[in-house]
Amino acid sequence: MLQFVIRRLLGMIPILFIITIISFLFVHLTPGDPIRIMYGAEISQDMYEQMREREGFNDPLYVQYFSYMSGLFQGDFGQSYRTRADVADEVLRRFGFTFILTMLSMFWAIVIGVTVGIISATKRNSLVDRAGMISTITALSIPEFWFGLMLMQLFAVQLGWFPTSGSGSVAHIILPSITLGFGVAATIVRFTRSSVLEVLREDYVRTARAKGQKESVVVWSHVLRNALIPVVTMAGLQFGFLIGGAVVVEQVFAWPGLGSYLIDSILTRDYPVIQALILLFSVQFLVINLLVDISYGFLNPQIRYE
Amino acid sequence: MKMKQVGLSVAVSLAVLLAACSSNDDAGTTENDPATNEANTSNEVVDNEAEAANEPNEEEDNNEPVAEEPSEGGEVVVGIEAEPTSMDPHNTTDSVSATVQSTMYEGLLRFDESMEIVNVLAEDYDYSDDATAITFYLREGVEFHDGTPFNAEAVKTNFDYVRDEENGLARASFFSFIEDVTVDDEYTVTVTATEPNSAMAAYMAHSSAGMKSVDEIQKKIDDPDYNIDREGAVGTGPFQFVEWRDGEHVVVEKFDGYWNDEELAKVDQITFRPVQEAATRVNMLRTGEVDIVFPVPTLDASELENDEDIDLYTGPTTDTFYIGMNFQEDKYQDINVRHAMNHAVDKDGLIAQVLDGYGTIVDSAIAPNIYGYASQPIYEYDVDLAQELMADSDQPDGFSATLWTRNSTEFISVAEYVAIQLAEIGIDIEVQAFESGTLFDMLDAGEGTDLFIGRWSPGTGEADYGLRPNFASDRVPPNFNNSGFYINEELDGMFDDAISTPDEDEALETYADIQEIIYQDAPWVFLHIPDAIIAKDRDLVGIYVLPTGAVNLNLAEFN
Repeated sequence: MLQFVIRRLLGMIPILFIITIISFLFVHLTPGDPIRIMYGAEISQDMYEQMREREGFNDPLYVQYFSYMSGLFQGDFGQSYRTRADVADEVLRRFGFTFILTMLSMFWAIVIGVTVGIISATKRNSLVDRAGMISTITALSIPEFWFGLMLMQLFAVQLGWFPTSGSGSVAHIILPSITLGFGVAATIVRFTRSSVLEVLREDYVRTARAKGQKESVVVWSHVLRNALIPVVTMAGLQFGFLIGGAVVVEQVFAWPGLGSYLIDSILTRDYPVIQALILLFSVQFLVINLLVDISYGFLNPQIRYE
Repeated sequence: MKMKQVGLSVAVSLAVLLAACSSNDDAGTTENDPATNEANTSNEVVDNEAEAANEPNEEEDNNEPVAEEPSEGGEVVVGIEAEPTSMDPHNTTDSVSATVQSTMYEGLLRFDESMEIVNVLAEDYDYSDDATAITFYLREGVEFHDGTPFNAEAVKTNFDYVRDEENGLARASFFSFIEDVTVDDEYTVTVTATEPNSAMAAYMAHSSAGMKSVDEIQKKIDDPDYNIDREGAVGTGPFQFVEWRDGEHVVVEKFDGYWNDEELAKVDQITFRPVQEAATRVNMLRTGEVDIVFPVPTLDASELENDEDIDLYTGPTTDTFYIGMNFQEDKYQDINVRHAMNHAVDKDGLIAQVLDGYGTIVDSAIAPNIYGYASQPIYEYDVDLAQELMADSDQPDGFSATLWTRNSTEFISVAEYVAIQLAEIGIDIEVQAFESGTLFDMLDAGEGTDLFIGRWSPGTGEADYGLRPNFASDRVPPNFNNSGFYINEELDGMFDDAISTPDEDEALETYADIQEIIYQDAPWVFLHIPDAIIAKDRDLVGIYVLPTGAVNLNLAEFN
């Protein structure tokens, strides 16, 4: 197990290295001159040249890349071109916001998704199942943006139960997390349902039933343990997506997380921020995948790591 | 019963959302005056027929006491459209940052509601006879927020620092007209220009001419790593800086040592909250989470007009929308073609359908609120005339063109509207939308430009900055904004004449002539001036809106 984790961690190094190169090239080869964006249209040619020189944009790409990497190794992600904030500090602060939002969204999604999924599967083709499936398809089809605005309209504007947007209290997180968890919940419902249905057809379930065990015991102790493995994978991947900042939801609810940060930075060619975020999202994804793999072992000790 | 209410509100919200999602193609049925091309310099306040002003407010979240007299204290929360970029006026080119800074900084002069220049930290000023120098007589006894004195030395330090390109400040070019700043005595300072410049006072009234504590500038000189953009907000204004947290807020609080007893801040604190989603900003105003928002989308504006608790301010901005054309192309050489294009576009229809009525036709290359503006007879919408002009031109069969636009809705919908209308006179237009940074790059490179949609707003509020960047021969790409390569040597001389005369009447006359030439020669398809739209809680009073769309909050208070 430990060996497996160490091997995986070592495997990340070349991947991350390649990602730094790709993100660096991406950012530097897209059209749009950050100096022009920072200084506007009416900047003298002299000063423009001076600024390019100072920011190192005139150096060959590989020189720029090496200076960027040497900064990284010292934990220096540079300063935002747009707001002049220290990128490392800012990313860390916003990561907190995104992390809380993601955790709570996943909590809603898993609680609702797994419960409805199990009920749907065990009561297959009943009215309950049909209703669950219809609402799931609806949930998957509704654009997040619209759903968020609807929730805001109803619970914040009409009823006044929650603030419309922003951050600063527990109440602020409720609507964005429900909006975000909603779509994920639907996916989890479908996964759970099909996975449980599949396991219910297994021989050992028939055996358990034949032994006269109660249906609830069969489902909870025999079926779920195996049925949840694909669900965990799925939830982990979803978590990976969400932790990259929920762009749309953060925009709608003015939530100061990584998603809104990424959008702002892309629009304004904020190179240092874009690069830091791409790197961060990649690391997150790799780490989450590893955690998902490890969690299989807890769900089903028969899974061996080779 | 409860369920019914919920159902009803869902239905209502659905209807609202559907209305908001429906396309702009159906003419906005706003109850606005149709756009006129009369200059309306005063910003109208759309005040709803409110009943007695002291009826209890039903908003739960509104913790402002409703009193008959304006009450001292409290906090104003402002919904702004984007994150500020800096707290340093010398390094700011965006209006959001300028709005936040205007609570903390003051310049020697400023613009009032009607774009007149008024004294602030200067008690008086005069130009030298040849308009190469301007002398300021400063107000005495003014202190910066950090307790350091404001005097002639501070003025010199500020201007010398900002115009030195080595310091890499965004406004260096803006102040590049300054040759020298001399301290005559403790409260007298003279700014000398590189060439005669009668617009200097207007430059000094611009928000980027805000005065900053000398100590802060010294800190930056001593330590190049000092983050003056985020930490150095020390001015002389009625509010002082508290904190700036990205994505959350910028907070300023009342400054007790403010010099101007007449205009002391009435509220204790102003909080600016960046909220990019316009629909969210409007919702926050409805629930009372913010007290004032700007800009408001035109669609929401017509709806807010019917809201009793909300006041709407609308008035023309100083932005001019236009379609530029590349004079290096053969297609646009014949003036008949350019006139035909101007006559082919229905500006009234454009304003009604694309701007929901919140705009006016632009009848010069600059807006009426700009100093030196002279109205011209507009190109009336007349398709028959336009078709005749095309038939008489060197392009009788029409031609194809590409129209470059920014990829924001505001620009794309204008571009598409114009494209449909120009098709009527045989100009087949393909609209190509680009992210703004990319578009500026393409225009700066000066290659492949054909038609492009632009917006120009001279921050100095005067004609030179309104016209020269767009029409002077020396302002062509790769450096500057004359992206259509419009070369007119007659104009070049006139620009210099106008700015170098200290005689105001003479300058105004020259600017009027310049505008007549430009409008007649039609290097642009002249479109419209969008309105500034600001919505606020009815109980919030004492704010005023500049024609630039900037909002002054310094005297805000609650009723």
